[in-house]
Amino acid sequence: MIPSTVVAAVLALLLAPSALACNSHPTQAQLEGQVMCPVCGTTLDQSDSPAAQQIKRVIRGRIRAGESDCTIKDALVASYGPSILAAPPKSGFGLLAWWVPLGGILVAAVAVGLAAWRWSRRREPEPKLDPSLNGRGPLDPALERRLDEELARFDS
Amino acid sequence: MTRKLWVGAEALAVALVLALLALLVWRVVNDSNQSVAQALDKGKHPVAPAFDLKRLSGDGSVDLASMRGRTPIVLDFWASWCLPCIHESKRLQAAMGRYGSRVAFLGVNTKDYGPDARTWQRRHGITYPSVHDGDGKVLSRWGGLPIPKIFFIDRRGKVVGQLVVEEDLPRYLRQIAQS
Repeated sequence: MIPSTVVAAVLALLLAPSALACNSHPTQAQLEGQVMCPVCGTTLDQSDSPAAQQIKRVIRGRIRAGESDCTIKDALVASYGPSILAAPPKSGFGLLAWWVPLGGILVAAVAVGLAAWRWSRRREPEPKLDPSLNGRGPLDPALERRLDEELARFDS
Repeated sequence: MTRKLWVGAEALAVALVLALLALLVWRVVNDSNQSVAQALDKGKHPVAPAFDLKRLSGDGSVDLASMRGRTPIVLDFWASWCLPCIHESKRLQAAMGRYGSRVAFLGVNTKDYGPDARTWQRRHGITYPSVHDGDGKVLSRWGGLPIPKIFFIDRRGKVVGQLVVEEDLPRYLRQIAQS
């Protein structure tokens, strides 16, 4: 009854807080996929520019120092601004980027559900069949007359 | 009633699309604000776009507009990952010995990791102050990458030129020092 997209959206909303948790043992590869190269417009793992290499060094050093991914990202944001993160931050204005698409999906799912409901109610009721016709629907009178004429011609 | 609701929703959707189109057109029209480097290429001498950025050292900030009318400025966009920046910043450091009393030298550390940038300054003996433009928004108004980019601003706040060849440095320094 409830569209699966609505269920998925609600599940995503319920699971969102778990995504906010910090990883206390991040790997270099994980962070390189989540941090942008400031001069190339790609994530760090896609770039070998001097600016990207510098940030990779910073990340390596901070991982060695035992910092969580949140702390490392915070340090990078402090230097480069929020645009250094591949995904928008899950707080403040950046939260909009996460919730607006989910809200859009919800609204779209409700709209599609409503439209489907209206469409199904608008359908013409099935004509009741005469049991004597053995499951066949009534013929168009013009077609029936033509059929009779054809049969009469055949019989003669 | 329901039909009216649908018509209203459709009208709202059309209005939203039109508003977005209008916003796009407005953005395109107003995006004709060319960068300083582009303006200089066309022979114009624009007023230096204002910025107010924190000092790289961490103590206070620098408001470029507040320096207008007081002193000529050499503006140096640099980063610690930029190899050619070392050479140009050292040239500026040397020029500061001769022009430092008449011209202000200001670095704009851009798209850089703050601690690395401070280490870089110490390592290369760069003593003129720098501000930090981490996300590069100020740099993009002045022409964007690549760096180094060095601009010369006269006392009235007009950008008189950009360093393109080595000889530009003494030429523009003399020009703005006399402004």
